[in-house]
Amino acid sequence: MDARYADGRAAVTASVICELGADSLTFIAHSGQQTWPYADLARADDGNRSIVLRLKRDTGERLSLDWESRAELCTAAPQLFRARAQGVESLRTLGLVVAAAWSLAIAFIVGIPMAAGPIANLVPARYRAQIALISWSQIDAIAQVCHDSDDGQKILDDLAQRLMAGANVPQREEVWVSILSTPTLLYPNAFALPDNSIVVTDDLIAMAQHPDELAGVIAHEIAHIEHNHVMKNIIRSIGAGIFFDIVFGGAGAGQAIAIATVNLASLRFSREDEADADARGLQYLAAAKIDAAGFAQLFHRMETLAKALGGDEVPLLLSSHPASAARARAAEAQAGRGLAPSLSDRDWRILRQACGGDPEPTQSE
Amino acid sequence: MTAEAQSTQAFSHSGKFFDVLGLALKNALLSILSLTLYRFWARTSMRRRVWSRVWIMGDSLEYTGKAGELFRGFLIALPTFFLPAVFVFYIAPFALSRSAAGWLLFGFYVVSVPLVSAARYWMRRYQLSRTRWRGIKLGLAGSGWSFAFASSGWTVLQILSLGWFTPAARINRARLLWSNARFGDQAFEFIDDGESPQKGMWWPFALGWFAFPLAYFISLLAVFFGYAVTIGGGPMPSPSDSPVLFVLLALGALVLMFLLMVFFWAPYNAAAMNRIASLISLDGARFRLRAKTFSLFLVNIAGILIWVFSLGFLAPLAGFLQVRYIIARLEIIGAPRFAEIGQSIAEAPRAGESLGEAFDLDMGVGVI
Repeated sequence: MDARYADGRAAVTASVICELGADSLTFIAHSGQQTWPYADLARADDGNRSIVLRLKRDTGERLSLDWESRAELCTAAPQLFRARAQGVESLRTLGLVVAAAWSLAIAFIVGIPMAAGPIANLVPARYRAQIALISWSQIDAIAQVCHDSDDGQKILDDLAQRLMAGANVPQREEVWVSILSTPTLLYPNAFALPDNSIVVTDDLIAMAQHPDELAGVIAHEIAHIEHNHVMKNIIRSIGAGIFFDIVFGGAGAGQAIAIATVNLASLRFSREDEADADARGLQYLAAAKIDAAGFAQLFHRMETLAKALGGDEVPLLLSSHPASAARARAAEAQAGRGLAPSLSDRDWRILRQACGGDPEPTQSE
Repeated sequence: MTAEAQSTQAFSHSGKFFDVLGLALKNALLSILSLTLYRFWARTSMRRRVWSRVWIMGDSLEYTGKAGELFRGFLIALPTFFLPAVFVFYIAPFALSRSAAGWLLFGFYVVSVPLVSAARYWMRRYQLSRTRWRGIKLGLAGSGWSFAFASSGWTVLQILSLGWFTPAARINRARLLWSNARFGDQAFEFIDDGESPQKGMWWPFALGWFAFPLAYFISLLAVFFGYAVTIGGGPMPSPSDSPVLFVLLALGALVLMFLLMVFFWAPYNAAAMNRIASLISLDGARFRLRAKTFSLFLVNIAGILIWVFSLGFLAPLAGFLQVRYIIARLEIIGAPRFAEIGQSIAEAPRAGESLGEAFDLDMGVGVI
């Protein structure tokens, strides 16, 4: 059959007559007779309606055959017409790639949450303070600390110390509370920062109708600090970011899908931490002889607010406290009756005036 | 005999849209299944498909790169690029003071500018070294770092000149790239034809430079016109009265503005591509590209739409359209003495496109 031969030394082709044998093909080139065993051949054409053969150990030589000669060549060397000969990866390679990817993903899904706790405990205080500075700068962008509320802040500090005293929290010397004002948005929330501070917003104080409700929130946040949940969350987020940046980086939509998955995963993890903080917080309340019914009442109020806002959960920015009936029920189960309020009437009125608040609770519930 | 008379349509592209679409869909599916780790194999098969459909004087190009090489390049990029990046982005903000972390981030971006250029150069070197025609390898000599630093300097000039140095920078970059390109042992040349290298590029560039205000005002006018036709006379409602209408109008204005921007830049891009092609020479043979404003605009828009609506998964299809567009409009004037052109003896890079992969520099096809 007619063919064209390029010898790999100059960019020209020469017409040759090619003979197909049982195990090899032969042709006469200007340099003499060439014998190419079929077993040493690969395709170089990717099915572009021509057949270009090369040696597997690529010498640059090419033998181009007419498309019409494919039937004859296929009979002589069927292996040259398998997908593998044309560069398509084997099913084994494909399986290995998929398996490797999912192994890495599973290692991430299981490994990073498992490693987050121990790594979080190793983070030096200096780094935690640095992270807290970043958090504070973000807080400063949307809210302001109420500097006219020192008395209210001290009342919350004392309440936090009372909660920790009974439960022997190791970080109790480092915990302090700030009251934050968010003038432009309704933001009833409280959250712990890596520097072991607790932030309570004026909207949360305004929403609370009894000091025990706030005591429950403070207890919950102290539990986050004691169990290092804040750093664990940060380590998890960093781990996820690094993982997806490195392994799946530069992959456009794949990356977007991966990030969405991470967000869902982190929401689930943080809910586990929330449940943990709920349970531990209730222990603080019990140790400090504070009625957990207030905490339950706050959950109910959050849920009502969420429904009023048209969503399932109150929109929260820095911490996830999904108000749910289940959490309210858990708190109610541990409610004690006949206990004194966690704050005196006087302290409660002072606290409610923080950030220019109304000393009397709004009787909406 | 004039150059016009000598030109021949020596190039053609036999790639079919649905053939490439089929491969792109298969690659997208496997990429999803493998959480994108299949991308090295996807990229290789797509290049093989697109390269092999480029015909030059009756013989097709051949892509000989291997997915394993790209994967190896990725593994090399892990410690050399990703780990420093991880430190800068994730660790330094916590471990260092705010100012130190800020300076480090700034330094990282400053280094990244030439690094992206160098990565692009190395990527091109890899792709050319894995491209053969009639069994002869192409290649790219020269230093990636030299290109990177020169290119960064031109970038600074582009910024200082509020963009007006761009045509000169584009020609300068093309000169460095093409004068270092090789076909076998024959170097390409970027010739001086006695005229300004940016000939024919300045007026189209000026149109592009003014594209933003032009597109902005035309979009605004179109929105007002559309609004008047839809609503008719009467007082203008506020956004809170009919938010859907306002969102649609804003979206329409943005889309129109984007289309106009692409359209206004098309004459410059066509002129630059044509001019660069006209200055490339191989063993005395010259090239001519006949890129036109409207056709280039349509190819660009088609590429963008494919990219957007496939969430990037079918980006290689957009790359294929560009390659096919260029090859179909490329002509050669004269003929190189192919019998005199021998095999390349330059050493080809063994690993793939490590940093190019890190910066995601191509469209899943190759540097065009």
